[in-house]
Amino acid sequence: MQRSDLILKMKDNAEKVQTVVSIIENFKAAVQYVVALTKHQGGKTLAAPDLTASELDLLKNHCEKEGLTFLAVPLRAHADNIHTALTYADWGIAETGTLVMDACSENLRIATMLSDIHVAVLPAEKIKPTSEALENKLNEKLKGNSASYTAFITGASRTADVERVLAIGVHGPIELHILIMEGPTE
Amino acid sequence: MIKTPSDMKSYKKQLREALKDKFLRNALDNFNTAYRENRPIVYENIDFKGIRDSIATAKDEALPHLTRLFEEFKKHAEAAGAKVHTAKDGRQANELIERIAKESRVKRIVKSKSMTAEETFLNDHLEEKGFKVTETDLGEWIIQLRHEGPSHMVMPAIHLSRYQVGELFERVTKKKLDPENIDNLVKVARKELRHAFLEADMGISGANFAIAESGTLGLVTNEGNMRLVTTLPRVHVALVGFDKLIPDFKSALRVLKVLPRNATGQALTSYVTWIKGANPCEASPIGEKEMDIIFLDNGRLALAKDPVFSEALRCIRCGACANVCPVYSKIGGHKYGHVYIGAIGLILTLFYHGKESDRAIVRNCINCQACKEVCPAGIDLPHLIKKTYRAVLDEDGKKPVKNLLLSKVMKNRKLFHFLLRQAYLAQKPLAGKSAIIRHLPYFFEKQHGFRSLPVIARTPFRDRWPQLYRKVINPEYTVALFAGCAIDFIYPEQAEALVELLKDHNVQLEFPTDQSCCGLPAMMAAEEETAKYLAIQNIKTMSSGRYDYILTQCASCASHLKHNYPRILHGDPERTNLELFTEKIIDFSSFVVNVLKIETKQLTAPPKKVAYHSPCHLCRGMDVTEEPRMLIEAAGHRYVESKDEDVCCGFGGSYSVDFPEISSEILRKKLDNVEQSGAEVLVTDCPGCVLQLRGGFDKRGGRIEVKHIAELLADKE
Repeated sequence: MQRSDLILKMKDNAEKVQTVVSIIENFKAAVQYVVALTKHQGGKTLAAPDLTASELDLLKNHCEKEGLTFLAVPLRAHADNIHTALTYADWGIAETGTLVMDACSENLRIATMLSDIHVAVLPAEKIKPTSEALENKLNEKLKGNSASYTAFITGASRTADVERVLAIGVHGPIELHILIMEGPTE
Repeated sequence: MIKTPSDMKSYKKQLREALKDKFLRNALDNFNTAYRENRPIVYENIDFKGIRDSIATAKDEALPHLTRLFEEFKKHAEAAGAKVHTAKDGRQANELIERIAKESRVKRIVKSKSMTAEETFLNDHLEEKGFKVTETDLGEWIIQLRHEGPSHMVMPAIHLSRYQVGELFERVTKKKLDPENIDNLVKVARKELRHAFLEADMGISGANFAIAESGTLGLVTNEGNMRLVTTLPRVHVALVGFDKLIPDFKSALRVLKVLPRNATGQALTSYVTWIKGANPCEASPIGEKEMDIIFLDNGRLALAKDPVFSEALRCIRCGACANVCPVYSKIGGHKYGHVYIGAIGLILTLFYHGKESDRAIVRNCINCQACKEVCPAGIDLPHLIKKTYRAVLDEDGKKPVKNLLLSKVMKNRKLFHFLLRQAYLAQKPLAGKSAIIRHLPYFFEKQHGFRSLPVIARTPFRDRWPQLYRKVINPEYTVALFAGCAIDFIYPEQAEALVELLKDHNVQLEFPTDQSCCGLPAMMAAEEETAKYLAIQNIKTMSSGRYDYILTQCASCASHLKHNYPRILHGDPERTNLELFTEKIIDFSSFVVNVLKIETKQLTAPPKKVAYHSPCHLCRGMDVTEEPRMLIEAAGHRYVESKDEDVCCGFGGSYSVDFPEISSEILRKKLDNVEQSGAEVLVTDCPGCVLQLRGGFDKRGGRIEVKHIAELLADKE
């Protein structure tokens, strides 16, 4: 499948489960996106535990400029106070609009589980058509001797436990945003 | 602790109470319809049958090796820092968890949803030992606050209305809440339970998969609570049934293709989480989590070796067998299971919780096959339910009078038919000149009066046959008619309609008179020996001639002869001619459409609007759906669709006598749907359904005529 088809399919299927999907060009756009989104929603805090040093600087500066509090790790101390979490996703599964994350890091888990809004940057080249296409890669990790916590995330947290009525946002994030980052084409 | 009545009298009393709950019935009825309507959409472009069959095969291959898979799992999980334990029963599992909690100085525990923990009544145990346990799945939290068990395996609080939940949450929050705003009710759980996650020392989860090749647990969830339960507290205990062991990641991904689709209609749940070993944890003094995995046996290892019942361990806990069950949708899960709910619950209860809890509920299967059709692991649930019923009877060492009579009478065809003839004489004073009994005699209880009953025919078909027999020279086909008891003795006119129809075709019809009851009633009563006896006799009778087809106008007989005989006679030395017999079985509609290939009739009278009831044992039992509908048009009439055509009519043979109130409720919905279609006539291809539907419409004034589809076709107008 062509990359553009995969992106479309990923977007389509993610939107079916109420994920907000945008296509961005670079990480800077992601920073602008999360800061604007957080401000728009009246949020005050932002966490991003798995960024590189330069990405972190970019985000911190932008937060400071816009009056948002950047939450430093360890996030356990802020567990009940994370409005937005910005993370990378390791893979995407187009067939179901799913993000795959190696979430062994506790900070990453707390950010993606306890934030109100989770924004994930998904590099376009990391989108695979099906879960089977990722099977070997993921299984390699699982079969290693170290502990691991791998998450498939498909939309925001949800329930239908009261009268089978779909309600979004139970214990996990109330919104999931995916920013598909189109880097250099293959 | 859940109590389930062990005798029919108390069980029926509870059923009558449950049937009064209008909210429950409406909610579950709507769910049943919505679930089935949504299913084709959810499975678009997915090869359900192919995946189902491969899951069944893979599970069957893995089950004999559970202990080996366990050793493999243990090795890998422990290499990554987990501790892996086993518990032989629920009590041992609970005590082990208690011990782990004490050793780790745990006070507060949060739980995510686990049927296995329900099975061991873990909360009761831990609370009794002084731990504070909080269920965090919304539905589980609701029922924990109400001190109830789950009423559905996936949606544990499906029996409650928003008003009941609203009231409950007002008590918890001491604030006024708008029950119409379900979103806000859900946010109550989000807010109230946050601190429970943050304060807990131990998190307890179940698991959907235990992958042997890597020692990884797989968990399939939606709300996000399981992720918090397995992340925030410093101790994580996973309680997992031995049956969750699968060899590899590939097998897990395969199950994931159907589990969410079947359970909640999702392509994938919000979260699928793969956890291996002791992950980092700041709350722990050693910086990583204490991870304990407990594999629960509680009968599973023995069950896995059972040649018949091991099939039940294929279950992936999707809950769909309840979703499509017409009985479940009338009475709800608290009355349709013990801990495990739905068809699979009627089976597993015997093995996990003992015969006392299963004795009454196991009888409450109408054998409509709806569960079997949707089961993503290909479990023949109705068959196993009857086998389970038999196992309960065997353990009890005594049988109901009905069974003793059945075996005595059914094994002697002449006696059986003699008694049926006597029944005609006994009924005569009740029916007068009519062919129907509207008022049941005093010795029937009033709950049986929901339908009129037909009288036994004065002259059964077998006695009419010598006059009807017609010799055909050089016939294109020679066909043996298997009439079945209902047509032979109650509705011979349905077979006469066939005889009439064949006059225009080059077909030699034969009626081998040694044929007896197909044996389905015996199997329904778990009278396996009688069912086997009848199978052998019927095969012998039908093997005496050279027939191209064995035709039956009764859907239940057809599917029993074709699909149950091989199971009944599995491994039996007397199964000679079995395949030759089963491959010739054909139902009326398929025969007329596919073999006779009849042309559309030109009617003299105006065509009627005709609705169709799809008998369970035809559409699911024989996989015949198109032909009868084509026949209505071929008979010159107009087929009008009605809602839920393929849902059971509530007859189920002796089911309607054993559980008249439920039968009547299922029938009521069926008749309402037919009335709403605007049909003048309702046809079906099973004399049992005719009995139920005609009896029901007669009580409603008889505006809609009910016919066997053969009668519609043979109509002279």
